[in-house]
Amino acid sequence: MITVSNLIKIYAGKTVVDIAALQVNEGEIIGLVGNNGAGKTTFFRLLLDLIKADRGEIISKEKNVALSEDWKPYTAAYLDEGFLIDYLTPEEYFYFVGKLNNRSTADVDEFLKSFDSFFDGSILKSGKYIRELSKGNQFKVGIAGCLLQHPAVLLLDEPFANLDPTTQLRLIKMLREMHAQHRMTIFISSHDLNHVTDVSTRILLMEKGTIIKDLHTNQDTLSELEDYFKV
Amino acid sequence: MIRTLLRHQWKSFWRSRNAGKSLAVQIFIGFITLYLLASAIGVGIYLQELLKRAYPGQDIIKVFCGFILYYFLFDMLFRFMLQDLPTLSVQPYLVQNIKRSQLIRFLNVRSLFTVLNLLPLLLFTPFTITSIAPEFGFPVASAFIISILALTVFNHFMILYIKRKSIINSWWLVLFFVLMGGCIAADYFKLFSLSHISTLFFSYMMANAWTVTILVAMAVFSFINNYYFLLKNLYLEDIIGKGKKKEGADYTFLNRFGTIGELIGLDIKLILRNKRPRSVAVLTVLFLFYGFIFYKEKYITEGWWGALLLGGIFLTGLFITNYGQFLFAWQSAHFDGLMAGNLRVKTYIKSKFMLFTAVCTVILLLTSLYGLMSWKLLIVQLAGYLYNVGIHTVITVYFATRNYKGMDISKGSTFNYQGMGAEKWLYTLAVFMVPMVVYWPFAFFINAWAGVIALSVLGLISFLLQDWWVELLSKAFLERKYKILNGFREKQ
Repeated sequence: MITVSNLIKIYAGKTVVDIAALQVNEGEIIGLVGNNGAGKTTFFRLLLDLIKADRGEIISKEKNVALSEDWKPYTAAYLDEGFLIDYLTPEEYFYFVGKLNNRSTADVDEFLKSFDSFFDGSILKSGKYIRELSKGNQFKVGIAGCLLQHPAVLLLDEPFANLDPTTQLRLIKMLREMHAQHRMTIFISSHDLNHVTDVSTRILLMEKGTIIKDLHTNQDTLSELEDYFKV
Repeated sequence: MIRTLLRHQWKSFWRSRNAGKSLAVQIFIGFITLYLLASAIGVGIYLQELLKRAYPGQDIIKVFCGFILYYFLFDMLFRFMLQDLPTLSVQPYLVQNIKRSQLIRFLNVRSLFTVLNLLPLLLFTPFTITSIAPEFGFPVASAFIISILALTVFNHFMILYIKRKSIINSWWLVLFFVLMGGCIAADYFKLFSLSHISTLFFSYMMANAWTVTILVAMAVFSFINNYYFLLKNLYLEDIIGKGKKKEGADYTFLNRFGTIGELIGLDIKLILRNKRPRSVAVLTVLFLFYGFIFYKEKYITEGWWGALLLGGIFLTGLFITNYGQFLFAWQSAHFDGLMAGNLRVKTYIKSKFMLFTAVCTVILLLTSLYGLMSWKLLIVQLAGYLYNVGIHTVITVYFATRNYKGMDISKGSTFNYQGMGAEKWLYTLAVFMVPMVVYWPFAFFINAWAGVIALSVLGLISFLLQDWWVELLSKAFLERKYKILNGFREKQ
């Protein structure tokens, strides 16, 4: 599905991403872990062609993401508030994203019904623009905006960090269901080792831009990660 | 502490991404400032001579006295437009171990660094020394200088206060201009004479130097007033603007245009719901009345078609210039999302062309009312319209692909130069030079109508080539995409 080769990104003389080779297959759920500055978000931005790689390439479905826009229809991402259009109401935002992906207003409404418990009554018909929502609620809007596209590839940057515990668990449940239905390929970066090992099928541990561990999740993965992060 | 904060300001200026560019702008502004200061000193030194020549046979010291309050009245107006509110984002400092009073003192000290405060001193001090000191002695001369200083300080802090107040409640803005206008009008219609009051006051001061304390008291009052206002309102900004329930809007007439229609709808919402683009839109509507200035009776009867054509281009193309100069930057806050979303660059660029064409057409219909003045204006405006939708749009989008400065659209636009740079001036120049370059040869060698027709035909051809332009500009955009994204991501 996605192949990364010789990918290097340098900021001010410092290598922030350096991935020699990475092959991600369809239907994998990749958990990206690593301390701050490990290069997780930068890697995501490279995957979305938002920054220019200094060397190397990312191939998504046989096309280089930097040279073609063909990855856009099947890729959805939420990294930060920069992905939200903050002067729209949440509904308007969902309809907008829906329209970009050929989904009618009715389709979107239907889809949003399944988000009732996730939204917990504080998103839809709130009478607020997105810029007036709390950070956690903005995150919910962003995640829902991604999921309603039914993407084949989904990127979420630290989705658990801004959500309350209940919503974190709901998100995990939802991702699992959608993954089972659509065989999505998912990238999740997180500092929450419990959640991320729980949801992922494969863990990539990053340090200073390189992938130092590539683990298929099993019952030992969590303790292995905890060992690494021990102070 | 204040020194540390000033140092932070210094760093924030030099370390911003656009430091290089704003340095060029700073140097330019620096030159102008130096020129102004030099002129002020020049005028100050020759004031005696100038007044003697302008008011022969009169007591020039009396004339001078009458002039002072006048100066400070207009100084007030200028300050309102030119003086910046010191914009240190105080937020990160509020939770640090810094006293509020220190922060406010910093804001006040920081604000004092403006040329406007130097100007009156340069203008008035030389005259005081050369003319007043010899005749009235040292105490009176120093009273004069102190009063100039006091009036400067009074104006300085009063304007800061009024500006801050008017941000919270725009009625202050209205009140200020009504008061200023009232003063000027009353003086003009001789209801009372400001210069007379000024003469009376300062003449009295010459005999009784202590009166200067009145002015000093005013200055102190203005300072303290501003100080306490800040002390009470240092966190007010966050509270304003919440509450009202927001309704979503759906522009069904755009639905038939698919994704492009959606994007246009997005632009419309952006304009209506954010402060800065909204004020640009309001300005555009107001400027539609400029036709009464451009289309002079004399121009029409004497056939100044070049001037009229420029007017036509200006009127029908204003929206493109105003909105287009920040075309992508308006969306800088969510540009990451747009570029990662399911949206082809070509579609995005095309939507901008469609937006321009649509708004331009509406403006053409509205301004066709000027046809009542002369039917020939309709043709001139049509030519301007064709140029605008055909060529002006292309120039605009091209310059937009070279703009790497994001902006905060929630801030007001009056004298807000965020996102401005040398390119913007170049852009405006290009937009109005191109049509003239097309028009003049034809107008010169054949006649004015040939020029008008040439411009129309060229505009029409370029308009028909729009898809080709979109292709070309998308490439130009993709070449600089990362740079644009990087620039926009940098919060200003």
